[in-house]
Amino acid sequence: MTPPMAERLQELISQGKWEPAFELLRELKPAAAADLIMTMRFEEQQLLFRQLPIPLAASIINHLPYFHAYVLLHSRPVQEMAAIVEAMKQAERDHFLDALPEEAWTSLMDELAEAGSATEPPAVQTPETGREKEVAARPAADEKPIIEARGIEKSFTQKDGSEIQVIAPVDLSLESGTIIALLGPSGSGKSTLLRILSGLAAPTAGKVLWHGEPVGECSPNVAIVFQSFALFPWLTVLENVESPLLARGMEHEERHRRALKALDSVGLKNFETAYPKELSGGMKQRVGFARALAVEPEVLFMDEPFSALDVLTAENLRGDLMELWLAKKIPTRSIFIVTHNIEEAVLLADRVIVLGRNPARIRADFRIALPQPRDRKSAAFFPYVDYIYKVMTKPELTLAPPSATAKQPTPMLPHARPGGVAGLLELLMDRGGEEDLYHVAETLLLEVDDLLPILDAATMLGFATAHEGDVKITPPGRTFAEADIPTRKRLFREALTHVPLMQQIVTALENKSDHTMPVEFFRDLLDERLPAHDVEQQIETVLNWGRYADIFTYDSASDRLRLILAGEAANSQEAAPLH
Amino acid sequence: MTRSKTSAGVLTWGTIPKRVPSILQDLPIIFAGFALFYALLSMTHYWLAPANAETAIQLRVSALPKYAMFSVLRIAIAYLFSLAFTLVYGYIAAYNARAEKFMIPLLDTLQSIPVLSFLPGVMLSMVALFPTRQLGVELGSILLIFTGQVWNMTFSFYSSLKNIPREMREVAQVYRWSWWQRFTQMELPYAAIGLVWNSMMSVAGGWFFLMACEMFILGNRDLRLPGLGSYLQTAANAGDTRAIVWGLSVMIGIIVLIDQLIWRPVIAWSEKFKFEQVESVESPHSFVLDFLQRSKILPFLARVAVRPVRECLSLYFANRQAAASQNRKPGAIGKWISRALLGAMLAGVAYAFVKMIILLVGLTRAELHGIFVGAGATLLRVAFTLVLAGLWTIPAGVIVGLRPKLSAIAQPLAQIAASVPATALFPIILLVLIRAGGGLGIGSIVLLLLGTQWYILFNVIAGAMAIPTDLKEVCNVFRFNKLERWRELYLPGIFPYLVTGFVTASGGAWNASIIAEYFRFKGHTYTVTGLGSVISDATDTGNYRVLIGATILMAMMVVTINRLLWRRLYALAATRFKLEG
Repeated sequence: MTPPMAERLQELISQGKWEPAFELLRELKPAAAADLIMTMRFEEQQLLFRQLPIPLAASIINHLPYFHAYVLLHSRPVQEMAAIVEAMKQAERDHFLDALPEEAWTSLMDELAEAGSATEPPAVQTPETGREKEVAARPAADEKPIIEARGIEKSFTQKDGSEIQVIAPVDLSLESGTIIALLGPSGSGKSTLLRILSGLAAPTAGKVLWHGEPVGECSPNVAIVFQSFALFPWLTVLENVESPLLARGMEHEERHRRALKALDSVGLKNFETAYPKELSGGMKQRVGFARALAVEPEVLFMDEPFSALDVLTAENLRGDLMELWLAKKIPTRSIFIVTHNIEEAVLLADRVIVLGRNPARIRADFRIALPQPRDRKSAAFFPYVDYIYKVMTKPELTLAPPSATAKQPTPMLPHARPGGVAGLLELLMDRGGEEDLYHVAETLLLEVDDLLPILDAATMLGFATAHEGDVKITPPGRTFAEADIPTRKRLFREALTHVPLMQQIVTALENKSDHTMPVEFFRDLLDERLPAHDVEQQIETVLNWGRYADIFTYDSASDRLRLILAGEAANSQEAAPLH
Repeated sequence: MTRSKTSAGVLTWGTIPKRVPSILQDLPIIFAGFALFYALLSMTHYWLAPANAETAIQLRVSALPKYAMFSVLRIAIAYLFSLAFTLVYGYIAAYNARAEKFMIPLLDTLQSIPVLSFLPGVMLSMVALFPTRQLGVELGSILLIFTGQVWNMTFSFYSSLKNIPREMREVAQVYRWSWWQRFTQMELPYAAIGLVWNSMMSVAGGWFFLMACEMFILGNRDLRLPGLGSYLQTAANAGDTRAIVWGLSVMIGIIVLIDQLIWRPVIAWSEKFKFEQVESVESPHSFVLDFLQRSKILPFLARVAVRPVRECLSLYFANRQAAASQNRKPGAIGKWISRALLGAMLAGVAYAFVKMIILLVGLTRAELHGIFVGAGATLLRVAFTLVLAGLWTIPAGVIVGLRPKLSAIAQPLAQIAASVPATALFPIILLVLIRAGGGLGIGSIVLLLLGTQWYILFNVIAGAMAIPTDLKEVCNVFRFNKLERWRELYLPGIFPYLVTGFVTASGGAWNASIIAEYFRFKGHTYTVTGLGSVISDATDTGNYRVLIGATILMAMMVVTINRLLWRRLYALAATRFKLEG
């Protein structure tokens, strides 16, 4: 707790004097030891925790915030992790497991089961109680939800008549007094889910209830703020804000008064007669907010409202929105925000839902118990961000519920360029071979949406491994990062032999006497399994990778691939354009 | 409004001189209102007069203002019909998926049918509708102009509706906009710019076919309506050069006036409907629009008359929408009515189809021969015209487009030249040709060329202007010679624009062939072999079998060429030759 003690501990750690450090912690009560650990930087915490003797770790772990505990546990090998959980006191263990969100809990149980049958007793005892308590713990459970989605699904029919499911059956409820953030990788159906919940789109199956009534039969009082603002350029700011009020048949004076009030609340007084194109992006989105607030919606939906704005403007607008919300200056009872910005979600939301893709299902749903306003520099902030990274980078299959049908989806190629993979590996080399994903994203100024495909590509090719929100370079990755361009191409080519889709294409090309094939053929092949948009991305990635690795050439005029034979490869290396 | 408040509140010597001309400024507007009222009055008076089809067209110059007024009103009324049809047809086609499937191909086909082919049907039914009044023939003429104007407007409106951004539609949906609010605040504004440009093209088309639409022979009846088109035609028949020149001058004068008084202001005004998020640096400007916006009388009328009505309508539809969403009953009666209508329509189509087949079966071998030979000749003529047009417009357009200073001078000039309907110039051209010893063989190609080359020229200029500077600099850096520059940069760069120009020009050329291949001049009918002259001749002699057969063949050829050639080139232009940033 006291600074001198923290300094002493840090000093010991930096010098690698582990035993004196443990002694220091043993002298304190477990709760105090946990607090002391929390004063350190997260990297130091991990360093220390990896070394802790199992009984000491077991006594401290329950006193750490559960996200921290969860993250730190995972910095140890699975066997040790299981041993630590085993060594915890029964009551503490139950408390710790109960506190975990459901997805984290399931995943931990799987891992413990993997570690050996010895850990079974605690695992078997807790599942039911754990879940019930989690539900009961929600402060809003005493109130009925505003919107309740029961088993909603969405699928689209392809041209050939086959169905592609974009949202797996999802249960979800929006309760009063909360801001809910929906996170997920791009193309995971976040926006579709928003549109179903708001009544804009109908689900293929399941139903959405609005105060217990089906949403199609009542007119829910909702508003949506769009990423692209969706303002009408030919209407003035005032007319834009008035338009939903006019639709309600409101008389002129009342309409005018309410619109002015809404504009005033977002700081746009005196801009009534301007046209949207005269305003900056931030001001346009303020008009978007004013239009949404003018109808005094019960639920305010926002579809990536800050994504089109620059960082400062977005920060500013977020602050203003939170001020309105926290001071209860708006009658809105719940806000549902779709975002791909993890920090934004942790900054704003009381509850975060993480979606997985193909098809979308809920992978994590948990509360953020930090007080508002939040500081992204605070120690408690980071673990949430890290946890979300971890959920999002975790391979889907391990988290998929066991009830999922046996039909195994074909592994998709991540939509990344070879250049991006090389860049990531070079950065990792620079950072000593291992780095926290959150920091990688920060350094490269990438959103998680853009980073994840690159990471997936690096892992798929065996150049890196991702584990618990960290990414680590592998020996082949190291060789690749240090190699010159021709060697990189060769290594890339070798790595691609493990990629099924690429192998399928090579085999097909090898079996043709002229070694050429139309791309259309592979497009058709993929069409049966994927939605049209994904097919295009897959083909683009295949072409990028294959051309980079000098596996084939592509002629865009005839839309054909031609295999580069062994003898040609050497020549084409000089001629091939660098990506 | 703010201005009027300040000038009324602070009455100083400085403000008074400004106020006096502002009242004077409104005088032209008031006069224009009276003039329009008088024109409409005399038009109705004439319409309701007993039918007198064989009006003698006087070649006196003093008769010209009256004729000009009749023609302008005819085009205006036809345009209003076109607009109404466009809104209804486009709306249904865009929102009724089942109707869309046959409405759009139907539109495509109708577009490729030349104006004259509509003549007998339209004229006979209108005359039958009002046998004793001039109204029948007048309506027939207006409908003919309508058939030359309407299709491209409808296409434009339909595709605008289809392209409204999804998020805009979602705004309307989530806030439950009424049908009326959707239409006035979203759909119509979004479609406005496309509609304005296509309206300009349509009205220009109206002038082009005016001569054919105001004076025609239908079987044994020689119908002529008082108007500028019939004046020019009569003057040509009589070989009266002085009258031709006078008529031509008046026509060009009117076209320039309409351009300045109507289209420029409308284009400048429609800027506000541009779907852009950032204000563009340069925008069209119109003195007339400035003048109108400075006037007192229009804002006053808007405040007193338009705004309350608009408010009333908006609230009425909003309340109706709210009521409808509360008790939603499937309209069983409405369903039956629409079913019955559909059934009647299908029966009508089937009847017409059978009748048509019976007529077509009666075609003699000689007639069939004529139709097919004519089709081949016209195909060659159109192709030759397009090649000829391309040969001069591509180099000229690129040269003009690459030099900003030159294009600043040349573009307005070319626009004026293009706005003069080629048909009006035709008598003069033919006069010169006949004196020089040529005939309609060359004349028809010159006419087609005059009517269609502008589309290509404008598009090439626009394309050349859009070639990015950095690409031009690359050519300089690598010292490309002329040939290389054309092959590597200019031709690929203008390709998408060129395709657009050729598509429009080709459609126009087929349609214009009915006038270019068959011309009455100095009491003599000049013809050349071609599908256009087959159609014109069949109309004149009342041979409906040949008319229908030739029309179907022409429509089929145009649609086939569109599908097989132009659409593919479009696809190529959109993928391979697209210049991006």
